[in-house]
Amino acid sequence: MARIYVKRVKQAIAGVVVGILLFTAISCRVSATNEEFFGRTVPPERNILRYVNGGEPESIDPAISSGQQEARIYMALFEGLVEYDPKSLDAIPGIAESWDVNNDSSEFVFHLRKNARWSNGEPINAHDFVYSIRRSLTPEVQSRSAGLAYPIRYAEAFNAGAMFVRDPASNQFLLNKDFAGDKLAAEALSQKPLGTNEREYESTAADPTADRETPFHQFMHSPDRLVLPGAEKARTKLLESNPKLQSAVAGKELVRVRAEDVGIEAVGDYRVRISLSESVPYFTELVAHQIFRLVPRKVIEKYGARWTDAANIVTSGAFKLKSWEPYSEVVVERNRMYWDAASVGLDEIHFYTSADHPTTMNLYKVGSADAVVNHSVPNAWLDVVRPKKDYMDAAEAAITYILINVTQPPMNDLRVRRAFNMSIDKINYSKAKKITKPLSAFTPEGIFVGYPQPKGEGFDPGAARKLLAEAGYPVTQKPDGTFQCENFPAAEVRFAFATHSSSKALAEFMQAQWKQNLGITVMLSNMESKTYMAARSKLDYKGFALGIWGADYMDPTTFLNIFRSRGGDNGSGWWDQKYVDLLEEANHTIDAQKRYALLAKAEKHMLDAQPVIPIETPAVNWVKKPYVKGLYPNPQSLFAWKFVYIERDAAKWDYGTPSLTD
Amino acid sequence: MLRFIIRRLIITIPTILVVITITWGLIRLAPGNFYTGDKALPEAIEQNIREKYGLDEPWHEQYLRTMSHILRLDFGTSLKYEGKSVNEIIARSLPVSATVGILAYLLALIVGITVGSIAALKQNSKWDYASMTLAMLGISIPNFVLGPILVLFFSLTLYWLPPSRWDGFPSKSVILPVITLSAAYMAYIARLTRAGMLEVLRSDYIRTARSKGLSETQVVIRHALRGGLLPVVSYTGPALAFLLTGTVVVERLFVLPGLGNNFIQASLNRDEPLILGIVAFISMTLLSMNLLVDIAYGFLDPRIRH
Repeated sequence: MARIYVKRVKQAIAGVVVGILLFTAISCRVSATNEEFFGRTVPPERNILRYVNGGEPESIDPAISSGQQEARIYMALFEGLVEYDPKSLDAIPGIAESWDVNNDSSEFVFHLRKNARWSNGEPINAHDFVYSIRRSLTPEVQSRSAGLAYPIRYAEAFNAGAMFVRDPASNQFLLNKDFAGDKLAAEALSQKPLGTNEREYESTAADPTADRETPFHQFMHSPDRLVLPGAEKARTKLLESNPKLQSAVAGKELVRVRAEDVGIEAVGDYRVRISLSESVPYFTELVAHQIFRLVPRKVIEKYGARWTDAANIVTSGAFKLKSWEPYSEVVVERNRMYWDAASVGLDEIHFYTSADHPTTMNLYKVGSADAVVNHSVPNAWLDVVRPKKDYMDAAEAAITYILINVTQPPMNDLRVRRAFNMSIDKINYSKAKKITKPLSAFTPEGIFVGYPQPKGEGFDPGAARKLLAEAGYPVTQKPDGTFQCENFPAAEVRFAFATHSSSKALAEFMQAQWKQNLGITVMLSNMESKTYMAARSKLDYKGFALGIWGADYMDPTTFLNIFRSRGGDNGSGWWDQKYVDLLEEANHTIDAQKRYALLAKAEKHMLDAQPVIPIETPAVNWVKKPYVKGLYPNPQSLFAWKFVYIERDAAKWDYGTPSLTD
Repeated sequence: MLRFIIRRLIITIPTILVVITITWGLIRLAPGNFYTGDKALPEAIEQNIREKYGLDEPWHEQYLRTMSHILRLDFGTSLKYEGKSVNEIIARSLPVSATVGILAYLLALIVGITVGSIAALKQNSKWDYASMTLAMLGISIPNFVLGPILVLFFSLTLYWLPPSRWDGFPSKSVILPVITLSAAYMAYIARLTRAGMLEVLRSDYIRTARSKGLSETQVVIRHALRGGLLPVVSYTGPALAFLLTGTVVVERLFVLPGLGNNFIQASLNRDEPLILGIVAFISMTLLSMNLLVDIAYGFLDPRIRH
């Protein structure tokens, strides 16, 4: 009896196993067929784009979030002074049809078009921009990306709730230059008194210097006021450390910086003038960012936090909100009031929420999605998907690097940091990753045209071992050819990273390299992402931590500014006044090429101190159906949706990655 | 019976409070905040946020404030999703989870009881072995394996069913999640039914029923099944509570906008009001389901009532 039972169970198991094998075989056979595109390729019946947008958007209010999935939705709903060019990400006219820049890029005048309207038909004017930008900076709004607007005069002071200091006797404000000592940077043109002989603008047809005598403009063209922290504790600390400042402030009145002090002004109804505190040559591109985009004052004042509900919202962009089903989709539809409605190609865009890469790719393969978010194609799928003609192959404005906690031994020794850098074969790593490029600097390879990017040290395990020996950790070769470094305190060093399959693969590769070339085993420490970010910013890790940085705007400073402050995203404990001074100097240099040279010098200075190990310049990694036109794999994956359309004529489809240059 | 119900209700409330307190403590212990992202915030911006939500107040003040809101059943608004109330989020995601859960449980009941009964009635036959082998597979294959296999076959190869996303009920998007979710329950119910039926079929009252001359169908349906299903009933309570309130894995796998998906995201986002709201809701559902099962038991088996 028992034997019969066992036999039958065996038969049953065998049956099931054969079934599973058969079914896997059928599945594999089908997916391995040699088709031109990946999965089903049939254009949708209506002019609707179904885009898998990554995680759930946090908010539809463009002032709030700094994330990419939100940015893409904001770009459909809200327009700014300028828009990103779909290929190059340069600024192209948005609601501003043209603009003037003063001679040192510290003051910008935007000329608005007169036919721009809100989705409810009301006209858009310069006062709407003043409201929107001041709102993004209001502390209560809690914008996560307000920092990008800090180049605007007194923007940081207002956002941080800081104080001016006024002398009640003379009614004059205390000035920064009286306390800055010898570190005072050169004054930008935007701060020099009006009427000085220096020529501020090139002469143009639409004279940007008209209305230059407004009281606000005169206030902008006056020396920088002294700004003190708003929080009492921080202020007391600062004053105690500087007796000269303390005696000057004693008995004076503290005046909170107001929205009206921020350097943005409506000159008439169709001109917006923005004054910066330093020269920012990339400011027009920066102004395309979501926090500078136009939000509707009346609706926000009426509905408060509920202004983004589909029933209440009024938008300024090419689309308006139709519905938002959390964790499912955000649907936007054509805004008929948009000034350029005639050139908008889509009736609707469905932004699908799906943060899981295989799930995303499944949707794409069965034809339920027309395009997917960047980095959706898992590494293991690349061999199948990359040869297809709907795979997007292009460079990305991002870097992957390893941070080093330079505050603790043994990593506080430059020789040890260099040794760890030189013992990694980055070329081989990029080969394994298939689509990335090896990186030795801190700015991405091949993104900033004309930037004299410095080179860091390359792969040289012999020199690395020598450096370790000099630092007191000799590496010896065992008879079997492997290395060992006996007195290196390996327990003091770990490699921390946030849970993600690709991060884990990277960490394991580095671990193997260090073991192989230095004979040192570095333990890996895998953390949940918020836990990891908190630990990294507090330097609460030993040795190494993984860093991934994507550009916020197209200028090398979006990377180099990471090490401008001690806190924030620095995460290494390395900070050098000389580095900051070089960046400051670059920011006050008008000549573009000289400015780039100074930035490169700063970058080289940082690389020499090796607070990081650069690893790779990632590449964009996504797919779109060939019938989706006008969607380009640009370096930041930001898409101006108004240019996207569905092409039904297969002869005009994209076969391969569309060109970013012609 | 009434005393029993009242006694159970009195225990329920402190249980929920303890659950919420522990959850609150765990959120505080977890590093990171709802506003921490991939890029660090300037100090001033972080300070703005901390002030708005009173995060710098002493912990006991924050705790008392949270608890007093929850006692008034006011779960507040989500920290991450500005302007969205927790009640609203639960109200919107619960129907999705409940639809999938109820359908999965119905499917599990129908298939499980049928298969289990056949296996018991034809004990040691090839039907018995086949169904119990399948049941063993159903229990031992986790749904995060079964789901992708079904997707691979029915969506990616045959293009019959959508691989993920929710198009409402009824729609084709319901089929794969329901099958994936019900497989383990189906298998478990089949085994429970088989075991229960086998025990009952050997009991004295079945012999009495048979000797009275009742037909085999009547014996099975009126007597054996009723007694044999008792284990299934006691399993139904907690199972249904879990199924109704969302199943994390299946909802993530098929990108369903249900309660389980919201709960996971809320935890990853450190969205305290939303986590507490969902935990309170799930524990209330679970406790009341258990209570209902106890009452139902009393009706099915008179011995328990006394």
